Amino acid sequence: MTQRKRPSSTQSSSQRRHTGNLVAQDEDDDVAFTQPSTSQVQRGLEKLTPAQVDQKTAEVVQYFLVKDQKKMPVRRADLVKHVVKDYRNIYPEILKRAARTFDQVFGLKLVEIDPKNKMYILVNNLETPDKASPIRSPSNPKMGLLLAILSVIFMKGGVVRENLIWNTLKKLRVDPGEKHEEFGDVRKMVTDEFVRQRYLEYVRIPHTEPIEHEFRWGQRADAEVSKAKILEFMGELHEQDPKTWTQQYREAHSLPNSSQASTSSSSSSQR
Amino acid sequence: MRIYILIFLCLWLKLEKTRVATLDICTNKTPSILTTEAVNRPFLYPVSKTYFRSRTSARVKMKRSKGGGDEEAPRQNGSASRRKADQQQSDGDEGGSDIGPADLQDDDNDQGLRREIRSKYRDLISSVQQNREDMLSPSNNKLTEVLEEANKLFKDVRQAREAALDAQLLVVATDLGKEKASQLFSEGTAFDPTAFAEHLLSFMGLNRLEDDEDEQQTTANGYLPQDAWHRLARRAECCFRTAPSFHYMMGSFYAEPPPPKQRIERQRKAPSKEAKRIMPTQLKKMEESQQEATEKEVERILGYLKSYYQDDPTSPISYYEFVIDPSSFSRTVENIFHTSFLIRDGLARMYLDEEKLPCIAPVEEGEVEAGGSTSRKQCILSISPKIWKELIDAFEIRDSIIRPPNTQND
Repeated sequence: MTQRKRPSSTQSSSQRRHTGNLVAQDEDDDVAFTQPSTSQVQRGLEKLTPAQVDQKTAEVVQYFLVKDQKKMPVRRADLVKHVVKDYRNIYPEILKRAARTFDQVFGLKLVEIDPKNKMYILVNNLETPDKASPIRSPSNPKMGLLLAILSVIFMKGGVVRENLIWNTLKKLRVDPGEKHEEFGDVRKMVTDEFVRQRYLEYVRIPHTEPIEHEFRWGQRADAEVSKAKILEFMGELHEQDPKTWTQQYREAHSLPNSSQASTSSSSSSQR
Repeated sequence: MRIYILIFLCLWLKLEKTRVATLDICTNKTPSILTTEAVNRPFLYPVSKTYFRSRTSARVKMKRSKGGGDEEAPRQNGSASRRKADQQQSDGDEGGSDIGPADLQDDDNDQGLRREIRSKYRDLISSVQQNREDMLSPSNNKLTEVLEEANKLFKDVRQAREAALDAQLLVVATDLGKEKASQLFSEGTAFDPTAFAEHLLSFMGLNRLEDDEDEQQTTANGYLPQDAWHRLARRAECCFRTAPSFHYMMGSFYAEPPPPKQRIERQRKAPSKEAKRIMPTQLKKMEESQQEATEKEVERILGYLKSYYQDDPTSPISYYEFVIDPSSFSRTVENIFHTSFLIRDGLARMYLDEEKLPCIAPVEEGEVEAGGSTSRKQCILSISPKIWKELIDAFEIRDSIIRPPNTQND
């Protein structure tokens, strides 16, 4: 769903429900930055020329695009400190305009994945193709590995012990103990890089001796990955109808993909 | 089954209040009660009651204070235990005074028994932790057995120390129970990661070896093509809504080149200067040596000529005999070259004798005519090794008149 026009800036401080997922006004625990009120924003806008505001918006857009190269989420604190700087009094307006630019110019969506820590990522707003894209752009093999891991986690209910993942990877000829020719240090990639990119969550299971962890879907995976498509892929692989996995099917099709909250294994709220 | 769990949940929550207080001491979280075992084992309820009561009485005992009747009566109810040592049922009669004669007598047995209880508890805890995978499998009731063991042990527990161990065991067991329950929950739709891995390998284009199709083989058979993971990544693109990342088309530019260039220029300049410095000295030496050599040589040959002529002024010196060096052709040529200088300078003269053979003779100083230049004639002499050898044979030249120089200028 592409949004051509955003509603004009509302004076209300209610949370917006549409694709932007921006929080207009929220007291947060960010020490260096408190969200300015809408009236403050208005006053700030009056003092600046439109060109200045556009310039600042463009800088924010560039910052996001460059940060997105490594798929690391952008923290609001960093954004304000490095880019917005003196314009922090009109920060909400800048962010709103940046989100609009992303949507209309690039077809990307600015998503807030962590309301508490205020982290943002960019997600593709366009429809994903059903089959592989005809454009022969170089693909990243890490995405293949990530797909395998996310599929296992999803099919196993959303939480998986780390040993299960390592064993599955070993069967796929990827041994976390050895250096893989394509991925290098697999363990580090899975537990560190993917976690920092917010594709996976790697949490410690309490009361285990020796220490064990479990994997869950990360916030970025929730925003970016379509569970229905994964189930389709499973169906293709196993030559079964996706509906045979009733539980997963329900989970994949009940919630809209854009704002899927991560669910724990035992208590799926949609049941 | 879910309904059972819900009902039991309500019951349990009521009772949990009593348990939470004590268990919180041992852990930071209340254990979840979604255990299949819990449904079938209502006697956990009396366990909790006795646990709580025994714990309070243990506290009372430790504080050595006279307790009220309240704690005594329930304790009697709850502790339907058989003690191996002397009975402590007399405690109830004594109205809570813990320092009774019975206690002092039971002290030694107490310690031994308590140690035994503690070690058994620790064994149970470690068995749960070590055999976690085993106990998780839904095919057995090992967890139930562990809990039954714990219940038996608990009957003998009197002090807080053992009670704490019991609480620890319960925490570990309930964690395991929670996992077992979650296993049950999601096992309705079977998903086998091993089969999934096999299908994925086929998808990625695994070339299985035809000869050994051994299904029991744990080692990999077949090899993955180079682009295996790329195939999967391409398929993944359909499931992911990743924002395409942004890169400059021409790549980024680095600000590093200038310093190396300067270094190269300086390096190039340095050797050229040195080269120039070296060159002049060498050239000078060369020129001097050449000039000196030629002049010296010419004078030397003149000396030879004069001395040879003075020996016998009347007999003519054959030119060929004079210049030819039978041992070296190159020196012969040099001799001819140097002799020509003599003739050019008018210090020697060549003439043809009666047999038309060239002869050479030094010019006396008196004989030099003023108009000597007008009578000079020029000729070009050529010699080749073949002619040189013929001359040596014809004139039978054995020795060279012009001795080879000591220093070689070659």
